[in-house]
Amino acid sequence: MPPLIEAKDLTKRYGSHVALDRVNFSVESGRIVGLIGPNGAGKTSALRSVLGLTNYSGYLRVLGKEPLRERTQLMRDACFIADVAVLPGWLRVDRAIDFVAGVHPRFRRERAAALLEKTTVRQQSRMRELSKGMKTQVHLALTMAIDAKLFVLDEPTLGLDLLARRSFYDALVNDYMDETRTILITTHQVEEVENLLTDVMFIDKGRIVLDSSLERIAERYAAVVVGPSDLEAARSLRPFHERRMLGKTILYFEQPDFERLAAFGEVLTPSVSDLFVAKLSGSLGAADTAADGETLAGVPHE
Amino acid sequence: MNNFTWLIRREFWENRAIWLIPAVIGGLLTLGIIWGHLHFDNDFFDINGATKIPLEIIPYSFFILSGFVTVIFLVIMPIYSGWYLLDCLYSDRKDRSILFWKSLPISDTETVLAKLAVGLVIVPLVYVAIADLTTIVFGFVISLRLGAWGSSGLWNPAAWLETQVLWLYTILTLAVWYLPIAGWFIFVSAWATRAVILWSLLPPLAVCLGERWAFGTHFFGRMLLDRLGTGYARAFHVLGDGSTWREITTDGGQNHMHVPVNIWNLMDPVGFFSSPATLIGIAVGVALILAAIVLRTQRAEI
Repeated sequence: MPPLIEAKDLTKRYGSHVALDRVNFSVESGRIVGLIGPNGAGKTSALRSVLGLTNYSGYLRVLGKEPLRERTQLMRDACFIADVAVLPGWLRVDRAIDFVAGVHPRFRRERAAALLEKTTVRQQSRMRELSKGMKTQVHLALTMAIDAKLFVLDEPTLGLDLLARRSFYDALVNDYMDETRTILITTHQVEEVENLLTDVMFIDKGRIVLDSSLERIAERYAAVVVGPSDLEAARSLRPFHERRMLGKTILYFEQPDFERLAAFGEVLTPSVSDLFVAKLSGSLGAADTAADGETLAGVPHE
Repeated sequence: MNNFTWLIRREFWENRAIWLIPAVIGGLLTLGIIWGHLHFDNDFFDINGATKIPLEIIPYSFFILSGFVTVIFLVIMPIYSGWYLLDCLYSDRKDRSILFWKSLPISDTETVLAKLAVGLVIVPLVYVAIADLTTIVFGFVISLRLGAWGSSGLWNPAAWLETQVLWLYTILTLAVWYLPIAGWFIFVSAWATRAVILWSLLPPLAVCLGERWAFGTHFFGRMLLDRLGTGYARAFHVLGDGSTWREITTDGGQNHMHVPVNIWNLMDPVGFFSSPATLIGIAVGVALILAAIVLRTQRAEI
């Protein structure tokens, strides 16, 4: 079966600025993929290309279709939430449901109604009368009621408070995800999504710097915490990133010799957010201090 | 076609002014006729001292009344219609709701054509329908206030049917004649990132001034004035002496006026649709509309 999304040499330019620089990636069916990068890295350009919202150069197929040319057909099988604040203020909730039910062959009205039933949103309200959290619930209900193969979310929780963010992701995972669906999420808040992802792609300055399933991250990456006495010896194994924390140093390795690494202490699998920081803050010397007091490098490697 | 009806309904939800403005005009005119000065003497019947209608035409006065009322609506209508077309592809880019509309399986061609149809055909239809209703209310109120005197002429089903044909013909021909103007407005609406009104006016003005400066001619400006000013004149046989729309017969020293002589003589569809100006206008309009559709497919929010 061909991949759900396939991009080869995908390039997007705005004048002289290159937002996506000959990017290659593919997304398989049934995965939850996080496209993660700092602001301005090219996440939104990548998603806009995938959704047929912008022109691009290079090869791109989504569900076997060319997004920009075949957006209408693509949107029968794919749906997206690009920022939650986009429902127009004049639109009434019940009419939004009527409209989507009228134009979308895969929309299941009773499902949208059931999802909205769980919220405090009134059907006669206009979107402008709703709080941002409620608007998100409406948009999510509208979108989750579509039997789509691909669901794309671009910074879906931007500007939401913690409670609304949590309930957003709970609804996504519990009420929506199953093996027939594929979700692609972009965010710059890695911690929020790392527990639900099956795959991650890191994007920086228009290039993909990491593309891996979470299982393969455990096989490929390791971190070890060393004291000052072992530091030089550990450095000889060529970590790609290091970070000082509480007098010790965490060293990050790609494709390391796990046995030699184990000599320095417990070998850990870095969390997605740690790996993100390690990959994107550059090589040695760019170590940051752990001012935010988060936990050490991650979970023990098996 | 189903999508198209939903798109039209959507425009009515968003732009309540489509029917609110003519409803308010109709309401004010009705108040005017209920409380205004109404006078008739042996020769003339006049409303608020403004319109003197000779008594001879009372059998045809439904037609006069309908013209008198509808003209008021048709003066306001293009102002709203023009504004609507300038705003329609701009406002959803500005409030970012385009990202919601584009997540649905509706093509950009359908979207643009639906909005064009609303601006060029649906809005005029709404205005004429409300003008029609106002005319009937007018006839009723005048009949009540003047007693049986006017009642025979003020409701005349045959004249009513004829006026409907005339108004539909007017809407159709004006929609065709103003297609290049509407096309320009909808193109600006799809293209501009701010100040749509300014952008709709400045380029034509610049062309006029540029032409005058470079060649000392006023070709473009004259063409524009002709386009803006001659719509009705080209769709109808109108002669200065009024001989196309009324006929005066003398019977035993008494003048009798017949209005209209014959609506089929009044309309000039063959002349209108075979005129080069009409055909060139259609070509320019279609080109601008196609450009607007292309822009729409490649643009997302501002």
